[in-house]
Amino acid sequence: MSNKSTQDRGGLPATRRALVAGAAATVASAALLRGARAQARTKLQFMYPVGVSGDINKLVAGMIAKFNAAHPTIEVEAVYAGNYDNTEQKVITALGVGEPPATWLPINSALQAFLGLDALADVTAKAKADDVYQDFIPGFLETCVSDGKLYGLPFQPSTPVLYLNRTAMKAAGIAKAPETWTELLDVAKALTIREKGELKRWGLTIGGGWHDWIFECYCRQNELVPWTKDKVLFDNPAALDALEFWVKMEQAGVMPKASTWEGSANDFMAGRTAMLYHSTGSLTNLRKSSSFEVDVAFMPKNKAFGACQGGGPIMIAKKQSDAAIEASWTFARWMTSTEVQSQWGRDTGYLAVRKSSWETPEMKAYLKEVPQAKVALDQSAYAGAFLQVPGYHKVREYLKSALDRTLAGEIKPDAALKEANAASNREIQRLLRRRG
Amino acid sequence: MTSLRTEIASRPAIVALRRGWLHVVLVPLALLWLSPLVWILVTSLKARTEVFDPAAGFWPQVLRWENYPAALSVAPFGTYLVNSILVTGGILAAQLVTITLAAYAFARLTFPGKNLLFTLFLLQIMFPIYATFLTNFVTVRELGLLNSLPAMIVPFVASGYGTFMLRQAFRQVPTELADAARLDGCGHVGILWHVYLPLVKPTLIAFGIITVVTHWNDYMWPLLVTNSEAVRTLPIGLGLLAKSDSGADWTRLMAATVVVVSPLLVLFVVFQRRFVDSFMHAGLK
Repeated sequence: MSNKSTQDRGGLPATRRALVAGAAATVASAALLRGARAQARTKLQFMYPVGVSGDINKLVAGMIAKFNAAHPTIEVEAVYAGNYDNTEQKVITALGVGEPPATWLPINSALQAFLGLDALADVTAKAKADDVYQDFIPGFLETCVSDGKLYGLPFQPSTPVLYLNRTAMKAAGIAKAPETWTELLDVAKALTIREKGELKRWGLTIGGGWHDWIFECYCRQNELVPWTKDKVLFDNPAALDALEFWVKMEQAGVMPKASTWEGSANDFMAGRTAMLYHSTGSLTNLRKSSSFEVDVAFMPKNKAFGACQGGGPIMIAKKQSDAAIEASWTFARWMTSTEVQSQWGRDTGYLAVRKSSWETPEMKAYLKEVPQAKVALDQSAYAGAFLQVPGYHKVREYLKSALDRTLAGEIKPDAALKEANAASNREIQRLLRRRG
Repeated sequence: MTSLRTEIASRPAIVALRRGWLHVVLVPLALLWLSPLVWILVTSLKARTEVFDPAAGFWPQVLRWENYPAALSVAPFGTYLVNSILVTGGILAAQLVTITLAAYAFARLTFPGKNLLFTLFLLQIMFPIYATFLTNFVTVRELGLLNSLPAMIVPFVASGYGTFMLRQAFRQVPTELADAARLDGCGHVGILWHVYLPLVKPTLIAFGIITVVTHWNDYMWPLLVTNSEAVRTLPIGLGLLAKSDSGADWTRLMAATVVVVSPLLVLFVVFQRRFVDSFMHAGLK
């Protein structure tokens, strides 16, 4: 542009003095322009957790570098913020002092919590002007919707799946993965090994720590979504039936009373449990760290197949300039584009959010090599959001405590669920009143 | 006669036992203490499938040194190490100055409101650090220190716990010693430097160890106030390997752990004699 202006001036019949002045003006305007361009580079922060393995740090850094190179007007800074809880804490602290990051990646359950803080930009109109509603897998998109409005784009969804120790199943003469709750119990019985009353291997373990997430899947397999946006329905008969089935499995001696999230994965790898409910995000780790053949199956159904989603969307802060929101949208949109999602899904084990991502040649080749990855995608057709209520942290603790105490035999299932239900709804009401 | 003979016969054993009984007690204890370290070291050299496979045995089939570069490539651990040293060292240096002065004031000076002020200091010990996160965050932000090394140092430059510990130690020093120093022409600073500090060295060292270990391992606060890799510390690098929802990446996590704990271990081994000596003196006094 500065060249062009010099030429224009050069074309004029100019005295030497005017020429000098012109050159000076050109230099000045070029400097001004450069200054303006540097200012126009919108700076965005992106706070993200590391959900599945250490290399996510490097993967994200690579993606951000690529994005920044392709977008001269936007500069994204990726900030590693711990796990999901740490990330939420960091974002809420920043919100507390009125300087939120432009974008962040929380667990989808946090939707109502952030809406309660009036922190999220509504991107419905932007998404409608785009192909979001056509190409995103509906079940994933739904995790970012409240009252028909879209707050963010799903980025790394996962669901629980049933992991199987194929080697152990072959040894026990079982060919088929269990498809219903009844079959699950039978297979678990066949796979449990006790020697002289001493347990050698559990038939089944439900990954603890997130067992409330898996419990919601069980509720959905009973055709119950155990929450609406302002209350929980843990005292529903369908939920009670699910918990009674857990108790039945525990009493049959095929499943431990309690476990931890990492411990249960370790147990599976060590062959101390033959089947395991765990996140799809663990697929790569379990496959690579087990000394036997690992397979993945749908979570068995009861009345229906059902699952619910972990993982998170990219959310955009409301309290920033329109230009910054626009830039944040460009970033979120790029992170969820066909190619990026296809690559991200193959690198991590998370499910790509776009239908078109699953049709890319690279993804098709990957599915041929790791057919287990397809199971989670197929199952996600039955998946919804996970416990999107205000104060979900506390609600999760109430529910987990109810499940733990029931399995430990301290309390009857119906009493436990009623208690958790009352405590949770009290907490939700308290938060809603405060919100006004 | 017979009893005497048996006594003579068994004497070497008795002597050995008498000399070595402490070892009989201490060796198993030492092994117990060492076992996690050994497990960390062994695991850091295993293949991923070996860690939980009961058939694989305790020792790795092949020593996999490549776990170390693989772990260290996750984050810039070199930068993190320097930052950890600067932050922990900065906190320790600042705390030693502030707690010494505060403890001296509380132990030996009289001024109005002393008891009330000391109670407030004690209250500070009782607040869990998480309770003050937001207010500290606001303060650090107003100081314009967010995302810098001082952000991790500033909230910890004073220590109620250290002040309390040192005040108790100062009060045990006989006042006559201070009076003598005053007759020799020492001011407050002189008395503190020449009389009190040399006598409470064991307390200072004990406090130093506690504070170094605490801040070396601190995770949440550094995570909260820093954003760029240039100013982050070692525990955040470890967090990348440990705090994942799919289960920890054990072999690389253990390799990184070896790297993170070794500076402290080396420090302790180098200064071991001095540490132990000063505790001995404390006991003899």
